[in-house]
Amino acid sequence: MVFNSYTFIAFFIVMLILHNLPFSWKVKKINLLLASYLFYAAWNPPFILLLWLSTVVDFFVGRALYNQENKHKRKLLLVVSLIGNLGMLCFFKYGGFLLENFTQLVNAVGWDYHPAKPNIILPAGISFYTFTTLCYTIDMYKKESKPVKSILDFSLFVTFFPHLVAGPIVRPPQLVPQFETPRKANQHQLMQGLLLISLGLFMKVVLADSLLAQSANDVFNSKAVLKTLDAWTGVLAFSGQIFFDFAGYSTCAIGVALSLGFVLPHNFLYPYAAIGFSDFWRRWHITLSAWLRDYLYIPLGGNRNGKFKTYINLMITMLLGGLWHGANWTFVVWGALHGFYLWIEKFIRDIRKIPEPLAAPVAHSKEAAGAGTVRNKTFSNFMLAMVTFFFINVTWVFFRSPDFTSAWQLLTSMFSNAPKAEVLLTTLSIIKVFVITVLLVAFHWMMRNTRVLIVAERMPWWLLGVIWSVFLLLLIWSQESSSSFIYFQF
Amino acid sequence: MTAPLAKAAILTVVLVATSVLCWELYVRNNDFDTSYDDGPPLWSDKRRMIYEPADRSTVFIGSSRNKFDIDIDTWENITGDHAIQLACVGSTPIPILEDLANDEDFKGKLVIDITEVLFFSTSPNNTGTPIECVKYYKDETPAQRASFYIDHLLESQFAFLDKDRLSLNAQLKNLRIPNRPGVFEFPIFANGFGRVQFNRQEYMTPKFLSDTNQQNQQRGIWAMFGKMRNEPPASGKKLDSILAIVKTSTDKIKARGGQVIFVRTPSSGPFLAGENMGFPREKYWEKVLAVTNSPGVHFADYPAIAHFACPEFSHLSPADAIVFTKNFIKILNSEKGWKFPKQVQL
Repeated sequence: MVFNSYTFIAFFIVMLILHNLPFSWKVKKINLLLASYLFYAAWNPPFILLLWLSTVVDFFVGRALYNQENKHKRKLLLVVSLIGNLGMLCFFKYGGFLLENFTQLVNAVGWDYHPAKPNIILPAGISFYTFTTLCYTIDMYKKESKPVKSILDFSLFVTFFPHLVAGPIVRPPQLVPQFETPRKANQHQLMQGLLLISLGLFMKVVLADSLLAQSANDVFNSKAVLKTLDAWTGVLAFSGQIFFDFAGYSTCAIGVALSLGFVLPHNFLYPYAAIGFSDFWRRWHITLSAWLRDYLYIPLGGNRNGKFKTYINLMITMLLGGLWHGANWTFVVWGALHGFYLWIEKFIRDIRKIPEPLAAPVAHSKEAAGAGTVRNKTFSNFMLAMVTFFFINVTWVFFRSPDFTSAWQLLTSMFSNAPKAEVLLTTLSIIKVFVITVLLVAFHWMMRNTRVLIVAERMPWWLLGVIWSVFLLLLIWSQESSSSFIYFQF
Repeated sequence: MTAPLAKAAILTVVLVATSVLCWELYVRNNDFDTSYDDGPPLWSDKRRMIYEPADRSTVFIGSSRNKFDIDIDTWENITGDHAIQLACVGSTPIPILEDLANDEDFKGKLVIDITEVLFFSTSPNNTGTPIECVKYYKDETPAQRASFYIDHLLESQFAFLDKDRLSLNAQLKNLRIPNRPGVFEFPIFANGFGRVQFNRQEYMTPKFLSDTNQQNQQRGIWAMFGKMRNEPPASGKKLDSILAIVKTSTDKIKARGGQVIFVRTPSSGPFLAGENMGFPREKYWEKVLAVTNSPGVHFADYPAIAHFACPEFSHLSPADAIVFTKNFIKILNSEKGWKFPKQVQL
């Protein structure tokens, strides 16, 4: 089930009603769990079995890991969990990719081997719920938090429908305690939740699907060498599309959870206003970046083993982060480019001895928000943000292109004016993309140190009402069908 | 904190409800009535119906002519037979024919419309929609199906839910901003040309039929498509391979007890002249019948259906569609041996 569908609206209304009826907390949790399974099964019922398997195995392995004192047995249990989770992910997501690469490799050394192409369907959200369960068992192994007491709470933690299919990737301490005591949204939370859902759907349906997707698809699917204007328009269209698509999903997920009384972590913080690439990764898919930092970069050694190892660890993290997004070498190159950018940034920081900020600054109070925005709104910072945005756009070429030939052709179109280059996009498409891109960057810059709910609550109520109405009217007017979110495939 | 958000929410509800109501009244006063999105979900809904008993239903495949020219109400009233419309506009029916042929459970009656310029095309422009429809049908999730039923409820009530003409993108396109030389932009069809019913019947509105500007606009679009076409009429090995696919598919259906008939629906004026020139009857129509060893009904062979003047040269008006359908049923029943649940009386 996708958020941008009539089915979900009906489902959500029923859930809101059920969650506000005078049932016991346990009954409400069972309702939420069953609804989450229904939410998932409405996509492809058989894959619910995978979700159950992952839940049950990790619940019991996690508990055993925490209670087991024997070092060898603890390691064995961890290996069982890693094999279970990563094995499932590898089979469904990387099975075809591994076989294809193996085939190419053995054929290159002279062994004539041509296996049948495997027909493996990727279960929706497998990358997300695998990471959710993995962090639980790793935390249990490191005894960083206590095991979840009931399988009901653990199942709900893994399966809770707002975050199940495309994040935000939650950690046990962020969500499990919220299931331990009765929760129901108060009127303020409900209104905030509904506002976020409206905003998220507006981003996904109106901006990503209705106004940007076609231009991005036309350019990335084109076989011809394009004029520079068309190539850049397509890349900027995708840049906006991927942000609005995924940030729209996250905003909906946070809004849906908040409407039921639960708080999910933020996943995006105006990334196209990032000043530098480490800042970008503190603002883009924040829960994945944090996961990779805590469960990959730091265990690899982080920055604790000298500068050279730090650079290597950084690159390994970004390469695997790239591969997480999809079973294709283009994603690896996308990750490598980001790793390379981070290297250069780190190198400059090391030379100039600039300390790294720990997190993107977010002002929680109105006063601080105002102060924060003034502090960073210098022209030189804006220009640095634009340089960052430029290089991020280059990486999107590899992320979206189906293969290296297409990616290289598009890069050629972007940076040279080939004499036989073709025109492709209509004037209307170009206007749409450039207007949205300018507004997107300006909005991110204005909002980079604050959050949308803080700003919304500072507005006069009538102005907020008018803006909210515009979101909903454009949503209705766009009449886009319920297309999948891009990140479902990851 | 609570009050401003709640007040904003109430204002939002009032503004949205008022605006939607005003927009609905406006479009209904401007020649719009309810019309359904003729996308893959609606096609899949009809595709699910093909397993009805063979003596109770007929499946139609082809291009837009089948959708305009077969009047489903007339067909069902006269024959007592359920008409299942699976034709796709601007498309060759061959991917759908293959899908039906490969479905062992389909053993029914099949009418295949031949619009030569589309039927014998292998261009992705003409195969894309049917391939997408078949794929959607096979991959459709329970959630998508549930959304389709809710969408149906809304589309049956609101005329503004017309994606092709009244969506945000359609309205922006109506600004008709000039393009750079060499850019192709899909033309805007005449406003009253194609409205779609839930049974996928397509029809022209009364305004279209009385407005020669709209008819000329649509004729101009067909002429433009004709000039733009860079795919020469299929011949030689390409034609043989298309015919081979059609033969294999029809043979499979017939081997299971199904009935197959080809139909060449009417066109007129310069459009018909162009079709006759590009796709001579003996080289295409007759060859399909001969290769597949199947019966066919060519409109030019029957005086009762040979006289139509299509408003935009390519499709029948609703009134003519009724006449065509009645005579088509008569021919099927009296000459081709097709039996229907009801005794055909014309």
